[in-house]
Amino acid sequence: MAAEYPSETAHKHVNRRDFLRRVGWTGAGMTALAAGAGRARASTQASAPYPDWVPASPKPPKRGGVLTRASAWDPPVLDPRLTQSVGLFQFAGLTSSRLIRYAFPEEVSGSTDLTLKGDLAESWQASPDHRVWTFKLRQGVKWHNVPPLNGRELVAADVKYCFEAYAKEGVQSFTFREIEGMETPDKYTLRVHLQTPNVLFPQNVAESVTVIFSREVLEEDGDLKKRLIGTGPYILKEHTRKVRVVLARNPDYYDKGRPYLDEYIILSAPDDATRVAAFRTGQSDIIWRASLGDVEVIRKTNPAAVVQEYKNVLAPFGVTLAQDRPPFNDVRVRRAISMAIDRQKQVDTVFEGHGIPGWGVPYIYYQDKMPTLAQLGPWWQYRPAEAKKLLAEAGHPNGFETTLFYYEYFPQMTSQVQLVQQDLKRNLNINVKITKMDYTTYYGRYVDSKWDGMAWGFQSGHAVGLDERTYMYMHSKSTKNFFRVNDPVVDDLTVKLRQTPDRAEQRVITKKIVDRELDQVLRVWMPYDNGFVVWQPYVRNAASLALRRADGYGSPTIARVWLDK
Amino acid sequence: MYKYVIRRLLLAVPVLVLSSLIVFGLMRVMPGDALTALMGESGNVGEKELKKLRADLGLDRPYYAQYLLWVWQMVSLNPGDSIFTNEPIAVALKKSIPVTAELATLAMILGLVIAVPVGVLSATRQDTAPDYAGRVVAVSGLSFPDFWLGTLVITFAAIWFHWIPPIGYVSFWDSPWRNLQQFLLPAAVLGYRLSSATMRMTRSTVLEVLREDYVRTAWAKGLEGRIVVYKHALKNALIPVVTIAGGQLGTLLAGTVVVETIFALPGMGRLTVEAILYRDYPVVQTNVMLVAGTLVTLNLLVDLTYAWLDPRIRYQ
Repeated sequence: MAAEYPSETAHKHVNRRDFLRRVGWTGAGMTALAAGAGRARASTQASAPYPDWVPASPKPPKRGGVLTRASAWDPPVLDPRLTQSVGLFQFAGLTSSRLIRYAFPEEVSGSTDLTLKGDLAESWQASPDHRVWTFKLRQGVKWHNVPPLNGRELVAADVKYCFEAYAKEGVQSFTFREIEGMETPDKYTLRVHLQTPNVLFPQNVAESVTVIFSREVLEEDGDLKKRLIGTGPYILKEHTRKVRVVLARNPDYYDKGRPYLDEYIILSAPDDATRVAAFRTGQSDIIWRASLGDVEVIRKTNPAAVVQEYKNVLAPFGVTLAQDRPPFNDVRVRRAISMAIDRQKQVDTVFEGHGIPGWGVPYIYYQDKMPTLAQLGPWWQYRPAEAKKLLAEAGHPNGFETTLFYYEYFPQMTSQVQLVQQDLKRNLNINVKITKMDYTTYYGRYVDSKWDGMAWGFQSGHAVGLDERTYMYMHSKSTKNFFRVNDPVVDDLTVKLRQTPDRAEQRVITKKIVDRELDQVLRVWMPYDNGFVVWQPYVRNAASLALRRADGYGSPTIARVWLDK
Repeated sequence: MYKYVIRRLLLAVPVLVLSSLIVFGLMRVMPGDALTALMGESGNVGEKELKKLRADLGLDRPYYAQYLLWVWQMVSLNPGDSIFTNEPIAVALKKSIPVTAELATLAMILGLVIAVPVGVLSATRQDTAPDYAGRVVAVSGLSFPDFWLGTLVITFAAIWFHWIPPIGYVSFWDSPWRNLQQFLLPAAVLGYRLSSATMRMTRSTVLEVLREDYVRTAWAKGLEGRIVVYKHALKNALIPVVTIAGGQLGTLLAGTVVVETIFALPGMGRLTVEAILYRDYPVVQTNVMLVAGTLVTLNLLVDLTYAWLDPRIRYQ
């Protein structure tokens, strides 16, 4: 998900290879535009010659072996309270458990299955008003057998302490501050009282970032920056910054017989060419590729490599408008901008005809099939004449001047930004002054939410849950509402969604939220490409699931990976 | 000589002070701070909490107070902790300096081993095939950027030989063979580039010296060509070569940034780049000062070498 999710690329900073690629892309994008001007348009989601789902192996798993992966990311720190970086969560979900988890590849029949399974919790139940959630924990779950825990049993008080620490400070405080109080009637029962009803609370504690850490380490060290001790399938054996992370099999893992691997080694390799070379020479077992062309390059030397097309269920990037002030507080201006942008052109040129036009809420929460561009509604079609008319009605017949700042998460993004700039100038006479920033500058400015004009915005990378993708990102009072959405209808619907236990009704409400968002153009989503996960032929059960890539935030699925050699 | 050295060391003080002011100022001018980088895209942190965290990290103090504290830490040889990772900077340096030092030393050795013989060969066989070949090699080295050469080397090594240096740094003392496998290719990439300018300088100065009267005299005395070239000509031609090789050290350290990234070596270059991107002020400042101090010292050593090469040189 390096390219799918912002935070997975957050620390993949510009290096000279990126630079070369982006220069190439910018040129290629423009050339393709010129060359493709007269040709028929491809379907928005052209299919790749690789399957989007690789079922689990029917063979009985073999124990042993070492899985190795060259990774672009380094964990900044080991403290899950302080960062949601993919550098940490590419393995934190393996050392540490959560209360609840999403199903693993071998437990589902397709990549979009979002069934919740118990991790530390065996069962969970809500009070009739969904304000009190009771979690029954597994008995006999042991912390890793390393000091200071020394394999003691995990009890409900540990989880309570952890959730309280999350609420107290750090990046997860917003999620956990909805907890009004907690009680532990016995060693294996945790009762959570919420401030307001939330039927989706279990999803929030199933997110990959909500790992349960140990009280002893926090109390001894004062933080969790250096030691990560949990109850997960692997023990953190070594973490040498910018070199490697070594995870060793936890022999006391509660799920007997698992994990299958002896070790999982993540090698720090910031350069893309190095990661490719490592995969080619067998030093790395799993790699992510952004485009079909990249996959074919690898398949020339490694024809037996297994490839899974990773189909996105949402677009992580879009144009964020300062919609709390003129001119973007006028819905007509937002609609005009959306209609003036040729999304299909971006898909055809920048993404080689292989991508999605862009929407924000994962479609799997409200419909079965991936939306087409036509289904996104009138304001998402490329209609420059209507757009110009609408902008004139809004009082800007001659366009206006504005700004757009961005950080280049991946090379194609610069081409997209330039295409949007061209579209807005040509179709609406809107002059967009672009500023490209380094990550820290961009991020600091973006989340500050005090800027004018436009930004190339994102939604966070780790989230799977519906609550996170709706209430957390769109409610006007949420600190994660980066797109500055302030719509009373969306506010009401997202709160109502949290109070609706029935799954079918949830789908209806989610669809209403999406329809409202699309109608009001609250977030101007941009096209995005699907990527490919490639692994060595002897690796089994490594398929990635929607919103959970095995080499990223979906790392807990590595617990079921085994090597057939 | 001692007076000369002391004077040079005293002159280094304003250079280092100026360097410290520049790097401190530049880091503060850059928008964003370590906290912003650390938080990722969570957006979960409120204004009040960010303020508290900044205060904890000392980022809310006036600039002059931050500068003076840092200078005091540097003078007392305790550069403090990384504000991004909490790791003591001394520990981070202890891990990264040996990597860069090994890479730079190997590159320098390889560079000189290539440059001097090829330069001499070019000069003594002027306008012949070996000379043309040597000049092509030298100009190519100057033209190919490190990142391009490094990427080609690692890519084609994987395709042709199904081998690349093992990823995951191992120290020489833990496994000498594995360590050398990890360092030889990156050192060759750096060394090749380094050798090019030195090679050209060696060729031109040897050519010049070979036309001197005393060399002609040596030939006239019937001395062996090897002795004329290596004993009489080369030593006298080496002063400009040493100067240029010393001057290349800055380029060499800059090159390690790219080469360490490509070959996944955890040296000073990667440490500094990461610290800049994450606005880890103390780490960047300390690293820059360390590099500045190293260059000042090496320049002094290069100057002192002149006396050894040419006994007529006196330091006053």
